Amino acid sequence: MSESIKINVNGNQIESAPNKLLIEACEDSGIHIPRFCWHKRLDPVGMCRMCLVEIETPRGKMLVPSCTTEVTDEMVVDTESEVVKKAQEGVLEFLLINHPLDCPICDKAGECPLQDQTMAYGPGESRFVEEKRHFEKPISISEIILLDRERCILCARCTRFSDEISGDPLIEFIQRGNKTEVNTFPNEPFKSYFSGNTVQICPVGALTSTSYRFKARPWDLKSVRSTCNGCPVGCSTELNSSQNKMLRILGIDNDSVNQGWLCDKGRYNFEYLNSEFRLKTPLKKLDNEFMETSIKEIYTELSDLISDSNTNINFLIGTNSTNEDYVAFNEFAKNFPSTNQTFYLNDDYLYAGFFEKGINRATIDDLNNSEAIVIWSEDLKENLPVLYLRVRQAVKNGAKLIVFGHSNSTLKDIADFYYSDDIVSENFEIIKDISKLKGIKEHVKDKNVTAIIGKSTPYQLDENLDKLVSYLVENSNSKIMNAFSSGNTFGAINNLDNVKNLRDFTKNVSAENTDLLFVVGSDPIGRSVFSNEIHRIIQDIDNVVCLDLFLHETSELGNYIIPTSSTLGEKEGTFTNIEFRTSRIDKLVPSPGQSLSDWEFISGLSNFCNFNNNIDSLDGLNELAYQDFDDQDSPSFKNLDKPSNFDGIINDYQPNISTELNENLTSKYFVGKKLYGDNITIRYSDSISLLGAKQFIEASESTIEKLNLSSGECTLKQNGHNVSANYVVNNKLADGVIFIPQNRRNFNRFDFSETIEISPNQSKEALNVN
Amino acid sequence: MKETLLLTKHMRENPEDSHLIDSYEKNGGYETARKTLINGSPENVLEEIKVSNIRGRGGAGFPTGVKWGFLAENEDRYLVINADESEPGTFKDRILLERDPHQLIEGIIITCFAANIENAFIYIRGEYAKPARRVQDAVDQAYQKGYLGKNIFNSEMNLDLVVHLGAGAYICGEETALLNSLEGRRGEPRLKPPYFPAVKGLYMKPTLVNNVETISSVPWIMENTGKEYNKLGVEGSTGTRIFSLSGHVNNPGNYEIEMGSSFGEFVESLGNGIRNNKKVKAYIPGGASAPWFRGDQLDIKMTIDDVANNNSMLGSGAVVMMDEDTNLVNAAKSIVSFFAHESCGQCTPCREGTTWLEMILDRVASGRGRASDIDLLLDVCDNISPGLSWPPKMTTICPLGPSAVSPITSLMNDFREEVESLIPTKVLL
Repeated sequence: MSESIKINVNGNQIESAPNKLLIEACEDSGIHIPRFCWHKRLDPVGMCRMCLVEIETPRGKMLVPSCTTEVTDEMVVDTESEVVKKAQEGVLEFLLINHPLDCPICDKAGECPLQDQTMAYGPGESRFVEEKRHFEKPISISEIILLDRERCILCARCTRFSDEISGDPLIEFIQRGNKTEVNTFPNEPFKSYFSGNTVQICPVGALTSTSYRFKARPWDLKSVRSTCNGCPVGCSTELNSSQNKMLRILGIDNDSVNQGWLCDKGRYNFEYLNSEFRLKTPLKKLDNEFMETSIKEIYTELSDLISDSNTNINFLIGTNSTNEDYVAFNEFAKNFPSTNQTFYLNDDYLYAGFFEKGINRATIDDLNNSEAIVIWSEDLKENLPVLYLRVRQAVKNGAKLIVFGHSNSTLKDIADFYYSDDIVSENFEIIKDISKLKGIKEHVKDKNVTAIIGKSTPYQLDENLDKLVSYLVENSNSKIMNAFSSGNTFGAINNLDNVKNLRDFTKNVSAENTDLLFVVGSDPIGRSVFSNEIHRIIQDIDNVVCLDLFLHETSELGNYIIPTSSTLGEKEGTFTNIEFRTSRIDKLVPSPGQSLSDWEFISGLSNFCNFNNNIDSLDGLNELAYQDFDDQDSPSFKNLDKPSNFDGIINDYQPNISTELNENLTSKYFVGKKLYGDNITIRYSDSISLLGAKQFIEASESTIEKLNLSSGECTLKQNGHNVSANYVVNNKLADGVIFIPQNRRNFNRFDFSETIEISPNQSKEALNVN
Repeated sequence: MKETLLLTKHMRENPEDSHLIDSYEKNGGYETARKTLINGSPENVLEEIKVSNIRGRGGAGFPTGVKWGFLAENEDRYLVINADESEPGTFKDRILLERDPHQLIEGIIITCFAANIENAFIYIRGEYAKPARRVQDAVDQAYQKGYLGKNIFNSEMNLDLVVHLGAGAYICGEETALLNSLEGRRGEPRLKPPYFPAVKGLYMKPTLVNNVETISSVPWIMENTGKEYNKLGVEGSTGTRIFSLSGHVNNPGNYEIEMGSSFGEFVESLGNGIRNNKKVKAYIPGGASAPWFRGDQLDIKMTIDDVANNNSMLGSGAVVMMDEDTNLVNAAKSIVSFFAHESCGQCTPCREGTTWLEMILDRVASGRGRASDIDLLLDVCDNISPGLSWPPKMTTICPLGPSAVSPITSLMNDFREEVESLIPTKVLL
C-alpha cells in the first residue's frame, strides 16, 4: 500500500496510491474536478459526465470520466484543456436546460453544487428556448421526504445510497431517456431508516425534508460540529440553526464512525427543542398540582433535606447527559455515604458487559479488518442504526457474517450464517454446542473475529452471552464490542463510580430506603419493561426531584421539577461512544426559560449546601473527568478542539458496572425496541412524531393463523390492561415467537412473564347492533 | 449481379417449412454440429473461424475469431446471441430467426462446443413476437431431439439454451446494456473498462456476445471450411452478408451477397433501381447511426473498410435510399427523434442533448427556425461528440448519443443549403 505512483496533471507531477480513482487522486492533491454523480462513499457510475478530463493514450488524447478511471503510472492528464472546458460547459448546459429556475424558493440555493458549479464552469446564458420538462411539484415519497422531480439531475446518488449503503432500494429510476425520473414503487413509500441521507447528498434541491423545507436560507444558518447522543454510535454531526432555532442536523464524514451517514432518528429528532411544551420554569408540587417556583426555593427546600446526613438518597440517571454532567453527579454523591456511589441507569438492557482483562475491545473500524463478524445483540438496525450500516459495509468488503438469535432478522439477508430457532431458544439461550456449528468451525475458529454482543432483550440471561463470548475468546482472535444501545451509556459507565440497571432499581430501591430520589432525564415508566414496578416505587417516595425537558409519565410523579437544557444543541460537553471514543458535544442554541444543564443544577445545589465539591465550572468538570489520562491522550476540551482530534479520541477506560445477575427473569414474548418509539422527544418532534405511534406486534404467518387473526387488528389483554394493535407478518421469526415493541405506547405495561391474551378485533359491522 | 446464398439458401428453397426441424434435417441440418462434436475439437473450430476471417455482423465488424480468443479462462462462461435487432432499416436477423432458427441453434451448439460453454441465451427484441415464437418452438424441438440439454448427440457436451425477450429498448442491442437487461436490471450500457464482455460479461463472467447472422454463418463455415468462406467476398470483408435494402427503391428486401460490389450496382440490379426513375439524393450505408453518403457517391464499394474509409460504416447492413424528392431535414429529424426516444437516460449529454436536437430540428423543419439554429445544432452535436469526427469521439458512455449526431453532421456537411432554405429570412426594418 505504501507504494505510490506518479501522474502528471496539468503539467504538474502528483503522487497517488495505485488504483485510486483519478478524481480522488486529483482531489487529494488539491486539484478540484467538478462532479455531480460521484460521491466518495458510493460506487462510481460515470453518469453525469461533469468530471470528464483528457488523458493521453496511444491513440491520442481521449476524454474520460475521472470518476471511473483509475490512475496508472506515468498517466498524463489535462483537467483544464479547451476540450475539457467545452465538454464541462456542455454538460452543465444540458443539465440546466430542464432544470427549473426556482432557486429563489429552493432550499438548496446557496449550498447547491449545481449553482456553484454553474458559476464556476457553466455557460453564462442558456440557448434553450423550448418549454422545460414538467413534473408535478414535490410529491411526498414518505412521511418525511419530498421529491421534486423537475429539479432532479438524475445523478443516482439517492438510488445508489439506498441500494448500496442502506440496503433498502425503495427509490429507483423509472422510465427512460428524457422522461427518466426518480420515484418510488406504487404503494411502497420510501420507508427507510436512512432516508435523510439522500436529502443530504442530493446535489440539487430535488429531495427535501419536511422538517427543513422553507425554514431557512443556508447563508443565514449558524452551525457547529457536535456528536449525536441518540445512541452509543456517536455519529459526528453538524447542527444548523437560524434565529436561535435548531433547524437541521447533517452528518459529518467521520471516517472511523459514521462516514457521513446518520439514521433518520438522529437527523430529525430535534424539533422537540422548539416545542411549546418544553419545561421553562422550575415547578413544585403542592396538593398534587404543579406550581411555578424559583430555583432558589427548590435549593432551599432540598438543602434542608440534604443537610441531614441520615437522608437516604438515590439517583436514577438517564443516558442523555454529557460526561461532565455525570462527573458532577458522581462528585455530588460523594457527600452521601449512604448512596455507596450507586447510580441506577435508565436502561433495562444494561448488564455487566465484557470489559475484563483478556478481552480485546473492538472499534467500529475493526469490522472492516475482520474475517468474520459475530452478532448477538438487540436489533442493530433498530437500536444502533449506523453500526448496522458499517456491518453491511464490512460484509460487502468480504467479512463473513454470523448472526445469533432472531433479534437481528434485518441482517438475515446478508448473513452467511443465521442461527435462530434451532440454535437459540425463544428466550435467547444457546441450545446447541457452539463449536459444532458449521459456520463457526469454518469462519470463526482461529480467525480474526469482531463480535457485537449485547442483550437481545431485557430478559436474556447474562450467562447465555457468557457462553458465546468465552467460546470466541478461547477459539479465535476476537475483539468484542459491547452493544449497549442507549445514548451516552459509555460516558455514564466511565464517569459514575458504580452503575446498575433498572432491574436493580426495582429490587433495591424503595420508599423505606429512599428519602430523596433524583430522576435525571429518564422516563422508565413510559419506556421500561419494569414500568409497573418503577411506578409503584417512585409513587411511594416522598421527595422526588426530576430534571427533565418535559413532563411525562415519570416526571409527573416528581415533587420538584427542574427544567433542563437538552444535550442536543443546548449544552457543551463530551460524549463517549461504543468504542470508548470521546468527542465533543457543542452548543448552538440557547435553552428556553430558566433551563439549566444537569451539572449547573447540581453545582448550584452543592454550593447552596456548602459542599466543597469543586464542580462549579464546565472546564473543571472536564478536567476532572479525564484527570487519570496523560495530557496527550486525554479527551479534554483542549485536545478535542484540535482539528486532528475532531473525530474523537479513543481511550482505554475501565467501566464500573455492577448489575446483578438477572436469573428468574423470563418472558413469554420477544420484547425489543423499534427505532421510533413513544419517547417524549419523538412525540414532540412534529415531522417524525407519527412514525413511532403505530402499535403493532409481529409474528410469522403460521403463528398469526394459530391466533385466528384475520381482520388486521387485534387486542392484547392482561389483567384489565388492554392494547389494541395491528399485526405484521414477519416470516423471519420462528414459529410461535411473537415480537412486541416495548417502546410503542402502553406495551411496556404488560407483564411479559405472564400470558397476554391476543384476540382478533371484532369488525365494526359485528358491533353495529342496529 | 447475383446473390450468393449461404445462410438464406435453405429458407429460399423451402419457403413453406424452413423453420421446422424436419425440413432442416432433411437438408442436412445438424449434421455439421454432430460431426464437429463427435470428431472435431474446440481448437479446430476456433481455427476455422479465424481462417474464415468472418467479422461480426452486428455492426462493429469485430473479427469473430479474435473475439472468441478473448474469452477469459474460467469455469462459468456464457454465450449470448444478440437478436435485439432494432436499428432502423435493419431486418436481416428477423428472417434468420423466423425462417431458419435451427441454423442459428446449430451455430450456437458449435460455438459453445468451441468455447466450452454450457449456458447460452438468445436475447430477442420484444417486438419480434413471431420470430421469438419460432425460435422458442425450434429450441423446444431441439431439446426433444436431444440436440440441446445433456449429452448432445451422445457426446460429453451439455448445453442449455434460453430464449429471452426484451421489453422494447433499442439500447439493449448495445451488448453491455443487453447483459444488464438479461440480468434483470435496467437496460443501460455498462461502464468501460472492462472493455469486453469476453472478460467480464453476464453476471460478471466471461461472455461471448454475438450477432444472429454471425453465429448463423458458423455451420456453413464448419461444413465448407473457413478457407472456402474466406474465398468469398474481398479481403477484410469475407463471406456473404445479408443487406436490408429499403427506402425509395423498387425492390426493397433482404439480399445475401458477397461483399465487394458497389452500392450503385446493388441498388440497380437487386433493388431494381430507384422508384419512378428518380435520382438518389443521399443514402444511408449501414443503419440509422451511420453518416450518410451523397447520391454521387454510389460507386463506393460495399465492404467494411471501403465504407469506413469514406467516414461512415457498413454497420448492420441496412441500406436506405433517399431520392431527390426527399426532405432531408425531415429525414434527419425522424432519425434524431428515434435516438432521443431510445436514449436510456443514463448520461447527461445523450439524455438531454438528443431531445434538444430533436426540438431544434423540429423547429427548423416546420419553418420556425432561427438563423442561429444551424450553429446551435452543430454546437450541441459537438457537446455530445466533440470534434464531430468519424469514428465519433464521445462525452457519453456508449455511442447512442453520437449516433444522433451522424445525420445532422451529414446534413450540415453536404446539404447545408437545404437547411438554410427552411429558415425564414429576417425582416429588415
